[in-house]
Amino acid sequence: MASRVRRTLLNIIPSISESAGQWALQRFSGGLVGQLGDRLTDRFLEVLLYGMDLGFSLSKDYRRNIKDFRGSYVFRTANQRVAASATFADEDMQVQARPVEDWDCRITFKDAAALRRFLFSGNQDILNSLLANEVEVEGNLNYIYRFGFLAKDLGRRLGVV
Amino acid sequence: MPEISLGDLSLSDYGLSDRVTRLRNIYFKAIPEICIERPRLITRFSIDHGFFKSNRISILDKAGMYRYVLEQRIPVVRHSRGVDGDMQPFAFQDNQLFAGSTTSRLKGVPLYPEFLALTLWPELWTMSRRESNPFHITEADVKTLNFDVFPHWLENNILELGRKRYYDQNLQKYGRKKYDPEIKLLERLVFFLASKPECISHTIPDFSKAVKLGLRAVIDEAREKEAAVDDPSRKEFYAAVREVQEGIISYSRNLAAEAERLASLENDPGRKQELLDIAAIHRQVPEFPARSFREALTTVWICWTAAHLENPNIGLSLGRLDQVLYDAYRRDMDQGRLTVADAIELICCLWLKIGDHVPAVPEASEQLFGGTGSNQAITLGGVDRDGNDAVNDLTYVMLRATELMKLRDPNLNARYYSGVNSKDYLRRLCEVNLKTGATPALHNDRAVIKALTSKGETPEQARDYGVIGCVEPGSNGRFYGHTAAILLNLTSVLELALFNGRHRHTGLDLLISKETGDPRTFDTFEQFTGALEEQIRWIADRSTDLNNFFGKIHQDFYPTPILSSLFEGPMEKGQDLIAGGAAINSSAATIIGLADVADSLSAIEKVVFEEKAVSFGELLEALENNFEGYEALQTLLINPEKTPKYGNDDPKADANVRWLVETLDRVFGEKENYRGGKYRVGYWTMTNHAGFGRLMQAMPNGRKARENFTSGITPVSGVTPSLTKALHSVARQPASCLASGVALNLKYTPEQDREKMLDNFAATVEGYFDDAGGQSDGGMEIQFNIVTHDKLADAVLHPENYPELLVRVSGYTAYFKDLNPQMQKEIIDRTEYLLSTGKMVAFEPFPLPNKR
Repeated sequence: MASRVRRTLLNIIPSISESAGQWALQRFSGGLVGQLGDRLTDRFLEVLLYGMDLGFSLSKDYRRNIKDFRGSYVFRTANQRVAASATFADEDMQVQARPVEDWDCRITFKDAAALRRFLFSGNQDILNSLLANEVEVEGNLNYIYRFGFLAKDLGRRLGVV
Repeated sequence: MPEISLGDLSLSDYGLSDRVTRLRNIYFKAIPEICIERPRLITRFSIDHGFFKSNRISILDKAGMYRYVLEQRIPVVRHSRGVDGDMQPFAFQDNQLFAGSTTSRLKGVPLYPEFLALTLWPELWTMSRRESNPFHITEADVKTLNFDVFPHWLENNILELGRKRYYDQNLQKYGRKKYDPEIKLLERLVFFLASKPECISHTIPDFSKAVKLGLRAVIDEAREKEAAVDDPSRKEFYAAVREVQEGIISYSRNLAAEAERLASLENDPGRKQELLDIAAIHRQVPEFPARSFREALTTVWICWTAAHLENPNIGLSLGRLDQVLYDAYRRDMDQGRLTVADAIELICCLWLKIGDHVPAVPEASEQLFGGTGSNQAITLGGVDRDGNDAVNDLTYVMLRATELMKLRDPNLNARYYSGVNSKDYLRRLCEVNLKTGATPALHNDRAVIKALTSKGETPEQARDYGVIGCVEPGSNGRFYGHTAAILLNLTSVLELALFNGRHRHTGLDLLISKETGDPRTFDTFEQFTGALEEQIRWIADRSTDLNNFFGKIHQDFYPTPILSSLFEGPMEKGQDLIAGGAAINSSAATIIGLADVADSLSAIEKVVFEEKAVSFGELLEALENNFEGYEALQTLLINPEKTPKYGNDDPKADANVRWLVETLDRVFGEKENYRGGKYRVGYWTMTNHAGFGRLMQAMPNGRKARENFTSGITPVSGVTPSLTKALHSVARQPASCLASGVALNLKYTPEQDREKMLDNFAATVEGYFDDAGGQSDGGMEIQFNIVTHDKLADAVLHPENYPELLVRVSGYTAYFKDLNPQMQKEIIDRTEYLLSTGKMVAFEPFPLPNKR
């Protein structure tokens, strides 16, 4: 869904300015700000990926983060009730509500709170997440570092990191 | 044997010069800044030369890259700005006596994307605001790293190159995709840590040739050797040596040119002359032989910056500088060109330069390893290659500089050979400890030399040992032992024996290692130790296999021409250091949790098997419940009068320690590394005993979940009331099994009568080092914190009042305020003794920091 939003936006407003894009990102990402702040729900992952997609659509500067980047992520809970994948290619991010087979990095997390702690470690919780077995990362660890930057960079643009 | 010409060994008439006082204040004011110079240059070169698409990088290719970086990097003669603790820039006028720097910043954080720099990627925007040891970084540098540097290393750092190779290997072997159980074991964090994905380092270069002959002579030697050999790989090696040495010379010439440029702009005659002096020095060295003490120091410093360009700043050590530099010092003194005051000022300036960089520790690792410096050890004193007293005037000059500066880096280590070195020297070492509160660490030559010769080193090589990183002994400039290759959590191995190959941290439904039997079915203590030995063998197999695997990745992707060119062995063999070129090769495991595991064995032996006070089943239940509901059992287990404890001169408890160190030495000693050397074992823990403590559940010695483990080879805190007995227990352990070094951490209460305290201090060290007429080897190493419990507790609450409070961790020194809360607690809780009575001073344990 998010990718459709992105492609539509890009078709409609190809010449959107960076400042206007930044404004629109803040205007339309209220749910994400809440999820990153104090209104965490089980939809954290979905909202995060939507917010990133929106960011790539509206901000050229944010989109520059994925220039020439190819890589696939799978996010899932241990019981696989929540699963999603994000694939980056051609300066675009495709989100699917199921795990893809060929991933570079697979993140298995206990719950939304654990994933948020892991990705937004403002208070030193990455290690706790790993040590408490709340999050397990398989595959190339550098991909999770890069994803962590993308998430934090989005948070910075939204004023929550 | 050098004659000591100093009247007052304390050199108490000499203080910090105005220059050094000012530079020292700036040093403490400045916080670390990320420097992107190195990663930007190596990334550019790697792209241009196709390194990212290559299956192997030759030593000549690497040498070309380092030469390029040395020639391109900014020649910093004078810093002009730093950043303070409020992240505000401040300007200052620099008047250092040494030019050049390891980074482009005043206090820099060099990045090595070939290793683990990418762990900083998620926090590039936030690292300047993190609670623990923040790094300053500019917005432009964040963007450069994010867009132009890090993306190129996604698939190309050592860890991921290794993982890729494991994937391929395991696909062939098991038909499974993305299968890397070997690395997974490492990434579970609780079993062992491996340093190969992080660094090479952990060794001591040989500066003597560069000082005496100059690098031009080394280049000429390499050219001659290259012409004389037919083997293409050896030819390539010598060409690589020439390449990097030309790079180092170019860097020094660039510094000279920059100093001349600055001098031309300078109106102040004094400052102008200082710059011209620097320029003249850099026109001479390191290309040509050092003609003065200052030139000799400059040679060491410039070679040192080059070594750090190639190797991460983790445990790379300077070795026996009082020996390497003594001839130059003596010559200048004899010719009246140098005074003691000049020499102290020069050494102070060098010490500040050595501390011009800190390791890049990500926020998460701060919790396990926070507060560490770069562990650049310097070694003083002891005996020379022939066994003669090697203590000289320069030894005392360096001690005085250390005493005055009270810096974290360099990490000072002093050797002492009882009966050869003077008692005045030992007393002076103790005095510096009293005045700094934490340095130098003291090493017993007799025991260390015995340990090294037991591993095949010649007596001459062993006598010429220097200290690496924390406390690890290695023959100076000729021993590549990667002493921190494996950091093994021994308590996890005990856990595997207690739970039949499983671990509570990873869940008791997951078999981690091998089933060695359910201890509840064991009839004898020996059955349990048999199971433990099997688990030790299992983990030794896994950890050494992984280390050897990554060693081969180093060989293919990380040749080391700079370090190899400053080392005894590679030039003779025409072979890279990491390919086995060093004169002496080994690898090492250092053990975390020795005392906790030994006391657990003693508890099991006494309480379960001898007295049958509880069954093994009940003990395991108590552990799984963290002793809740089993308080009486815990009281029994922690009571040293009821349950034997290491550190009380108790033969049974000490025998369990001995069994462990002999078993570990035997098991690891059977393993061969990727360079044809054998593995050694050490007992020094840095901050890992606190970090691993956080991960581990309750143990049979009565320790509850999340409590700290004990550092190094030190007995468990709070259960060893007598200092003498504690020292006896440690000194009883066989030196031959401790060849990769030990850290014995002691805490003394400062006493009013300093002279009396000094007497007791020196006598205690003598007693600990004594071999009791051959009945024991004597203790190998000892280090101190001399500070009151109250002061440390207050420093936790008011760190702003103690910015320079120096403490010994377990090996290196650190500023107390920089340590994570768990590590601060560990130091506060260490057994504290009053030297005048030799008795423990009792304190309630410091509260465990609140963590989720």
